[in-house]
Amino acid sequence: MITLYDYELSGNCYKLRLLMGMLGVDWTTVPIDFYPGREHKSEWFLKINPLGQLPVIEDDGLVLRDAQAILVYLASKYDAVGTWYPRDNPALLGEIGQWLAFADGITGTASAARLHDALFYDFDVEAARAGAHRLFRILDEHLWFGEQEGRDWICSASHPTIADIACFPYIMLSEEGGVPRQDYPAIRRWCDRVKRIKGFTVMSGVFPAGPAKAA
Amino acid sequence: MLDTAKTRWHPVAATYDLPFRHVFHAQLLGREFAVWRADDGYVNVWENRCLHRGVRLSIGINDGRELKCQYHGWRYSNRTAGCTYIPAHPADAPARTITNRTFAAVERYGLIWSAEEPQGEVPELPGLAEGELLTLRGIPVNAPADVVAARLEGYRFQPNGRTDGSDAKVSVEASNEFSVALRAVDGEASTLAVFFVQPVDSNRSVIRGVLDGKVEGAVRLAVLHHHNDLLSKLRDIAEHEAQAQPVPAPLEPVIDRVSPELAEMPEETKHGRKATIRVEVARKWQAADGIAGFELRPIKGLLPTFQPGAHIDVHLPNGLIRQYSITNGPGESDSYIIGVKLERDSKGGSTCLHETVRQGDVLAISEPRNNFPLRRDAMKTIFVAGGIGITPLLAMAQALSNQSLNFELHYFAQNEAQLAFPEKTACLGTSLKPHLGLSPEQTGARLREILSGYRSDAHLYLCGPGPMLEAARHVAAEAGWPETAVHFEYFKNTNVIDDSSSFEVALARSCVTLKVPAGRTILDVMREAGIDMPSSCEQGACGTCLATVIEGEPDHQDVYLNDAERKSGTKIMTCVSRAKSARLVLDL
Ligand SMILES: N[C@@H](CCC(=O)N[C@@H](CS)C(=O)NCC(=O)O)C(=O)O
Repeated sequence: MITLYDYELSGNCYKLRLLMGMLGVDWTTVPIDFYPGREHKSEWFLKINPLGQLPVIEDDGLVLRDAQAILVYLASKYDAVGTWYPRDNPALLGEIGQWLAFADGITGTASAARLHDALFYDFDVEAARAGAHRLFRILDEHLWFGEQEGRDWICSASHPTIADIACFPYIMLSEEGGVPRQDYPAIRRWCDRVKRIKGFTVMSGVFPAGPAKAA
Repeated sequence: MLDTAKTRWHPVAATYDLPFRHVFHAQLLGREFAVWRADDGYVNVWENRCLHRGVRLSIGINDGRELKCQYHGWRYSNRTAGCTYIPAHPADAPARTITNRTFAAVERYGLIWSAEEPQGEVPELPGLAEGELLTLRGIPVNAPADVVAARLEGYRFQPNGRTDGSDAKVSVEASNEFSVALRAVDGEASTLAVFFVQPVDSNRSVIRGVLDGKVEGAVRLAVLHHHNDLLSKLRDIAEHEAQAQPVPAPLEPVIDRVSPELAEMPEETKHGRKATIRVEVARKWQAADGIAGFELRPIKGLLPTFQPGAHIDVHLPNGLIRQYSITNGPGESDSYIIGVKLERDSKGGSTCLHETVRQGDVLAISEPRNNFPLRRDAMKTIFVAGGIGITPLLAMAQALSNQSLNFELHYFAQNEAQLAFPEKTACLGTSLKPHLGLSPEQTGARLREILSGYRSDAHLYLCGPGPMLEAARHVAAEAGWPETAVHFEYFKNTNVIDDSSSFEVALARSCVTLKVPAGRTILDVMREAGIDMPSSCEQGACGTCLATVIEGEPDHQDVYLNDAERKSGTKIMTCVSRAKSARLVLDL
């Protein structure tokens, strides 16, 4: 069984809980006392991940760090239908990779602002917020034109991919870092769509959506 | 400039911002709005705060009929914004005063227009024809509206179909502080672009552009990209300019506060049986054998919020006043739909409605009152309707169905043709269980089946003819249902009222003592003394004129209170009940 080194309030760990929930795979959790315990910087944890970061998983003897890398692994291995990370579609894989990197950019900005506000980290919060707004502007425009072309998701597919999962948590939690989403209406609509994916789960600070209108 | 801005119409969203089941987060002049489209198409523009704790409603859930606040689940109705349910008080009907502030909403040119204190109409633009235009992507700008509007006068673009060119002539056709109309001409091609600048706050705006002419397919996308790119550049320049200026203080809209008392207390009482609302019979039809359906639409304005279980008084042309339950599902707030059964022994009420009242007639009705509130925290809810008793239960069943809550609606009638409102019951799927053509004995047996195996967290709602209600209450008691889980509503009180007693009533809060002689009611005597007291059926069935007893022994003659409530001696229906003691003290 998959073991997730987890912290409930971490958006990066939430990415994995989300995908595993949607894929319907089971996992066990090793809770890490991230705050205030700083257990991710403890000697035993640094042996698992020398970067001292969450999340990390262990599966069949494989130890993996980095939320995006783990999403790639989980989707490749456990998605029977093969839509979350379609291995036979190079163009789509390229797009997914591009937006996974973008998601890490959201972690570096929106999540940093949140760590500053919620967990009192010492960051240049203004720079982090400005960076988040810059990324959100880009994504909002991308999603708005997607809607105009009949596309609901971040990548050019008729179904969500792990790029949607990677971007979702820190967008949804951005207000906790003082980054409102009012100016990004297409992002807000996309958030509703992500919340309506079968198997969607919440975390603290993320609310569920109501049902969509029956066709 | 911004002081007069309050009275003008501004766009606050675009049509594409309001897909079904979404709540858009808008802002105008510092005031935030939750904007949502109900499944019936109605666009709601509300103050963006839940009355409960001020939580933003824009993070709430649009279920197509109501908006539910995320924190404590308060529900607000489409159109009226009145509260229909408070989970923390599952047994109580929320006071009608609990209503969010609503703002005007007009949909035009692919935009949603609103205003804080609108004067006049939404601007009509000569060159723009509804349905023959293209609404551009809204561009939020961190700069004051006047900075943005000034920049827009110098906006240069290509007409539709020529977006790959670069030498169109652009002229300003009109402009004011919040809008600029430009025309680009390149050879034969000519496009009118009107840009509205939505003043979001002192230092924030949204550019909302509309082009004349319909374009489709690839050209449409090219045009949208063309303007998006150019407007993004304009945005960057305007933001740069704004950054060089001192940041203006954010606008502080005045938020009307609903006082906690108003938000928690029952509505203020009103004198007598008032019929303050005028409605038109928009539709009259046969809802079933012997049952006429009436759709009542307001002559002007909106109808007040109703909750499932609520009834209205209908004042008939012949002077009679009758009570009818509202059958509407949640959010169906543009009219009230009632069902009227032609009574064989009609004293003129149902006959008048069946025979005299026609489509197009105007009737006076009271505001809705809810003395039959529905809990929504039960694990299981059983509704038992007999005949026309379906009406309040139909509203309740639709409310639970909308929230995907577990219920069964048992509907007893003589035959299929007597099942009313088939178009509404059809939406309840297998939760609707008709029981047709049963004798009284068979009905009793069926009720014993339905009500057997009481489990805690179940609630039962009964409405139907008196004998059937008596039987059902009896069966429920035998099957172990506690009185607190059995809710009922009688159509009428068939008890023979004994009004031979005479006694004294002291009204503790009003500091008056009144004598109630034989032949007169407490309600009458109080009214004569100028005491406000609402009432409706005035025969001890509906629960409207309920008062709290502080001292003395009531002589109950109503059918509204349940046995436990009667025994407790703390409540009285002032329209029919009297006193066994020489004196009653009421909390009025
Ligand atoms: N690129 C990594 C970033 C992970 C990350 O920033 N994790 C946070 C918790 S959500 C963390 O462990 N921060 C502690 C640190 O970087 O020192 C990923 O996507 O997994």
